[in-house]
Amino acid sequence: MQTPVHSVTAIVVAHDGARWLGETLSAVLGQTYRLDRVVGVDNGSRDDSAKLLTQAFGPAAVVSMPRSTGFAEAVHDVMRRLPPAPHGTEWIWLLHDDCAPDPRALEALLWAAGQDDKAVILGPKLRDWLDRKLLLEIGVTVARSGRRETGLEPREYDQGQHDHETGGIRDVLSVSTAGMLIRRDVWDELSGLDPKLPLFRDDLDFCWRARAAGYRVLNVTEAMAYHAEASSRRRRRIAASDDHPRRLARRYALFVIMINLPFPAMLWSMLRNTFGSMIRTFLFLVAKQPAHALDEIVALGSVLAHPGKLRRARKARRRNRKQGYQLVKPLFTPPIAALRRIADMVRGQLAGAGPMDSAGRHHAVASSPEEEGDELLNDDGSLLRRVFGNPGVLLVLLLTAVTVAAFWRLPTGGLLGGGALVPVAGGASDLWDLYLTGNQAPYVAVLAALSTIFFGKIWLAVAVLLLGCVPLAGFSAYAATRRLIPYAPGRVWLAASYALLPVATGVVAAGRLGSAVVIVLLPVYASLATRVLADGGRPARRAAWGLGLLLTVGTAFVPLLYGFVFVLGALAALSFGGVRRGVGVSLAISLAVPILLLFPWLAGFAADPARVLREAGLPLPADPRLPAEALLTLNPGGPGAPPLWTTAGLLAVALGALLLRRHQLIVAVGWGVAISGVLVATVVSRLSVWPGVPLAFAATGLLVSTALAAHRVAEFRAAGGWRRFAALLVSVVAFATPLAAAGLWIRTGAGGPLSWNVRDPLPALAAAKSTAGEGTLVLRPSGGALAYTVLHGRSPLVGESDGAVTDPAVTAAVAGLASGRGGKDAQELAARGVTFVTVPAPVDPALQRSLDSEPALTRLSLSKTAGLWRMVIPVAPPAPPPPLDAFERGWLWAQGALVVLVLILAAPGARQPEPEVQLEEQVAGERVLV
Amino acid sequence: MRRLIENRFGLLALVLIALGAVYGGAFVSRPAPVKPATAQPVKAAIESVSAVCPDPGGATVSAVTPPGPRGSGQAQVLDGDKPATLSEAGKLWQKTAGKDADPIRVVATGAMAAGLEAARISRTLDGDGRGLSGVRCVEPGASAWFVGPGPASADLTLHLSNVEAAPADVSFEVYAGEGLVVAERSTGMVLKPGQHRTVKLRDVTTSPLVMGLHVITSRGRVTAAVEAVLGRGKGADWLPQAGEPATTVVVPGVPGSAGQRRLYLTVPGEQDTVVQVKAVLKDGSYALKNREEISVPAGSTTTMDLSTGIGGQPAALVLTSPVPIVAGLELTGTGTLQDVAFLAGAPSLDLGSVVADGRAGKNQTSRLVLSAPFGAAAVQVQLLPKSGALPAPSEVEIPAGRTREIKLTGDPKGFSVVVTPRPGSGPVYGGRVIEEKTSSGQLVTAQPLQMARTWALVPPTVDSPRTVLP
Repeated sequence: MQTPVHSVTAIVVAHDGARWLGETLSAVLGQTYRLDRVVGVDNGSRDDSAKLLTQAFGPAAVVSMPRSTGFAEAVHDVMRRLPPAPHGTEWIWLLHDDCAPDPRALEALLWAAGQDDKAVILGPKLRDWLDRKLLLEIGVTVARSGRRETGLEPREYDQGQHDHETGGIRDVLSVSTAGMLIRRDVWDELSGLDPKLPLFRDDLDFCWRARAAGYRVLNVTEAMAYHAEASSRRRRRIAASDDHPRRLARRYALFVIMINLPFPAMLWSMLRNTFGSMIRTFLFLVAKQPAHALDEIVALGSVLAHPGKLRRARKARRRNRKQGYQLVKPLFTPPIAALRRIADMVRGQLAGAGPMDSAGRHHAVASSPEEEGDELLNDDGSLLRRVFGNPGVLLVLLLTAVTVAAFWRLPTGGLLGGGALVPVAGGASDLWDLYLTGNQAPYVAVLAALSTIFFGKIWLAVAVLLLGCVPLAGFSAYAATRRLIPYAPGRVWLAASYALLPVATGVVAAGRLGSAVVIVLLPVYASLATRVLADGGRPARRAAWGLGLLLTVGTAFVPLLYGFVFVLGALAALSFGGVRRGVGVSLAISLAVPILLLFPWLAGFAADPARVLREAGLPLPADPRLPAEALLTLNPGGPGAPPLWTTAGLLAVALGALLLRRHQLIVAVGWGVAISGVLVATVVSRLSVWPGVPLAFAATGLLVSTALAAHRVAEFRAAGGWRRFAALLVSVVAFATPLAAAGLWIRTGAGGPLSWNVRDPLPALAAAKSTAGEGTLVLRPSGGALAYTVLHGRSPLVGESDGAVTDPAVTAAVAGLASGRGGKDAQELAARGVTFVTVPAPVDPALQRSLDSEPALTRLSLSKTAGLWRMVIPVAPPAPPPPLDAFERGWLWAQGALVVLVLILAAPGARQPEPEVQLEEQVAGERVLV
Repeated sequence: MRRLIENRFGLLALVLIALGAVYGGAFVSRPAPVKPATAQPVKAAIESVSAVCPDPGGATVSAVTPPGPRGSGQAQVLDGDKPATLSEAGKLWQKTAGKDADPIRVVATGAMAAGLEAARISRTLDGDGRGLSGVRCVEPGASAWFVGPGPASADLTLHLSNVEAAPADVSFEVYAGEGLVVAERSTGMVLKPGQHRTVKLRDVTTSPLVMGLHVITSRGRVTAAVEAVLGRGKGADWLPQAGEPATTVVVPGVPGSAGQRRLYLTVPGEQDTVVQVKAVLKDGSYALKNREEISVPAGSTTTMDLSTGIGGQPAALVLTSPVPIVAGLELTGTGTLQDVAFLAGAPSLDLGSVVADGRAGKNQTSRLVLSAPFGAAAVQVQLLPKSGALPAPSEVEIPAGRTREIKLTGDPKGFSVVVTPRPGSGPVYGGRVIEEKTSSGQLVTAQPLQMARTWALVPPTVDSPRTVLP
């Protein structure tokens, strides 16, 4: 079968490769096709490589080169010395020291070469050195971003799945230099591998040129070689350059792309890669891989910083570049692959893997998949089926449907507001401006950030948080308890009960945005806290930072939360501090972050401790006469709270679960949290504060300790007999609570004081005519008294009123104005910048008469919606807000920086360190170090 | 502890005990129900008054500030170029203005403003305008109601003044017997600051026999007064301002003298209504026989003769209706040549009332007619003479549902009257009537008592960001 027309010279280049060289040499010598000549090149190895080469090929066939010689340079050197073969077509077979070809590899390659004259570069199928079933390459191509693509899945096993496409011969853009068979005349014509690319991508560059010249580059799957990829995997030190292989790979990737593309395409690629690199650098930074980030940006910089090099290299390739581009173009990675990769990345992120696929050149070694919920592993079938088969997704959909049904009758047509919620007006930029004027509650910044995400619309952010409180709480409860409660039906029950607690519906009805945020976050706190206590090392520390950050968010909305968590955290530190190293520090981090991030605002609480009890939004006092049984049934009272019996099922099941002897300690802790929550709820309720947040705490403790025993229901059901009946009964009683709550909620509707039909308190005329923050006095009789507030040129923003200070002089002047007694009251108000007076409908006739009789006011309009008066006396322009002093401005910057820092510290890091690194260290210790 | 927790029933018992303790704590700490205290408004002295006396030509203008807590302040009568200053509180100031004088403005600030009251009364013995014609000097407002005869039965002149710093846009609505009259020229009248204007209603609207007139300013404020001249031998007078439409209207101050009594009712809304009429007389309140109810179509004015019901006895009328109404009353004096006077719905005198002028002489009598339709009332009546010492005040008690007539005897040169309800008194309504006997017939003018501009009710105010929410 051998065709004697071929004359093959094998060139083995070795560099500190004694570990593999022995096997490589015996494989080269054991080829079924007889090699005409063999040459060994030793690039200044410090191990036994030179000796092995000499032993195998004889001293005459071994060339010694300096240590810094690159692969291409070594081959060139050999080619210069190599006389032309006396007969037949002459071929060069390049081999690395860590690449052992299969005995029939050369035969297969030459057979394929014989099929077509145009086939001048051929490569074998590469498999892994250690795991010999693992596919490494069957030819490579490149994406326009410079990314080297093999077209294989990570860790794909070779089961012959690629061998039958086109008869085992694949047209590819490039093959690796490991096992590359080149016709010598083509090597001479194209002047071979470029010595300016000492490592990496030299193969791509050479094959590209060959392709552009109209030749074929083939991968022959019949031929096989086993490759250790020692350089790129850092199993040996690279002597050709001092840089990290990752940086080199990236630099040469960009370089090769830019020198081989025609000019317009190159410009586009340059632009695109510059942006791409910056984004990648940023993502690497976020993923806490600063070394990667540095490599990325330095690689780009070193390519762009040497235009001369680029020009020379381009000049050398000018001949076939433009015409040949059409031949090369179809072999590039299709653009869709990039999208697919992004999708994979997102999926990997969601599954808990690292955020960035950092391996650019070679296969990603998938990190060991984290322990996932059973529903996530159930990945057969289509995506749709997978998503809708997930009980968590179904639960959230169901809760969303319940929410929509409950909101169906909510009157709409105006602004969203009512209860504790200021009518929501304005955009995210208004909120940012407000926050940056200083001395604002920090939740304004949180809301501003959220609104920015929601297309700059505050109302959308508020609607999602507040109206979506129930599904969001269900989702967070379901997802956060994944580790704690593996039994999915138990978790569904927990999440449904939690989402439909009387507290949740009460929060929505009264428009308590702060409590809504805390209710959504509470399960996340529980989950992160268990991580802090139960995990060790980095995950625990990350969880601690995350807990600190989320606690900051919750505290900004409801300061009372911090006090509660602080006490629980202190207790946890006392009980777990000694159990595991670092728990104390992690807890301290979690509890210190809110203090640090909210510092000046929290410091203000020292002056007025009662503010701790207030939450975000308008003050909305609750009835201090909340009955004891309401507190015990986790019912906070007020608008939106269902009848007391709704939660009876929950309590019955929770008490019943106490009889099962499982997880006794956690159950005891859960009940401890529940009872202390009810206790705190009692105290704050007697202080006329709505006890929603402490009751939500209590409910969390109760639900977790109950759901832990849920799998026993399944056991009972399986047991049959009366136990089966008991299991059914318990399930019915348990699910009665969420079902009843949902039914009642839909029946009574979600409204309350909250409505989507609130009229803008500032008449359009006043908004349009008041310049630079001139005041509009809003008067509204309420319960015998006259309530007033002064708006400044626009409708009030969420959170704007929190820091307002009452001016007694204004209060007196407003009283005088409303009484109609004449006098200097109007002048007093005008001196404070009040230009307009408005009374929203229904306008009290006495008040209207008083305002009408005031000589300093003239009535602009009196309609069904509001009355509006304007000052006819000169109005003092309102004083502009004082500029921030250096400390305040500095603090705002510092706060922003701290938030970013904590975010980075809390973000899931890159994947675990790869085992190769350890190996490399070993090698370094054993061999490489001189 | 650990053993207790790990025992099957131990933990349950522990939890139940803890729950019981929490329940007990919550039960015991539950506060007793407290009645929500509603904040009561506080009385505060009025510090600024501005009133305009329309068409003072030939009329006597009276102005007075009742005595009260002293402080600094000034009250002035701006009559042409020479403003007169009221010397002291409790002294009546009077002056007869020259012919064709511009409207006189009375302004006061500080202590002299509290209770300042002014009125103009003219006495004409022949011609179309024969009779006693008086009207209270009114403060600027954005809305004024008048009910009485229409342009077809009387010569009606509307006097408008804008004494404010801002221009005023004035429009009228005329409710005739047939419904709301839509007239092109009834809108879009602009009065510049300081401008006065008289409008012949006959020129701007159709000529109904009866009329409810609503003067509205869409911008700014004006003072409005309507003079009605019924024609030779029929008398003339000014229409007092009627209160804003209400479902219960009291028309007080009907004197006990003989003569015709004619009720006018306007229903400005869009709903027909039936008005219940009740008379509060000397000996009790009655529904008038055969006139218990009057049905009034929506948007129209109707009239009804009540002479047989309340003629000859002092009375007040209490009108109730399911929809807001405006009411007025026409009194006619006796004699060959008649004179008329007009009354209108008025508020109760909770904070007291001041009448600027009263006359008592050989031919002239002034009477106060006080009614307590809703509960027993007690008031103090104090006369303020033009000069000399203050006479002792007199106490008047009015039983529930009755009306009392008090003849005022004071300084013949003129006096003012201050009516102050005693603490705890029920609501009091009143009117002041001046009659003069002449050879050709009785002259009469009347004025329903308005709340004095002494006190204002200052509501308790609270700075609350919740104001933005309904």
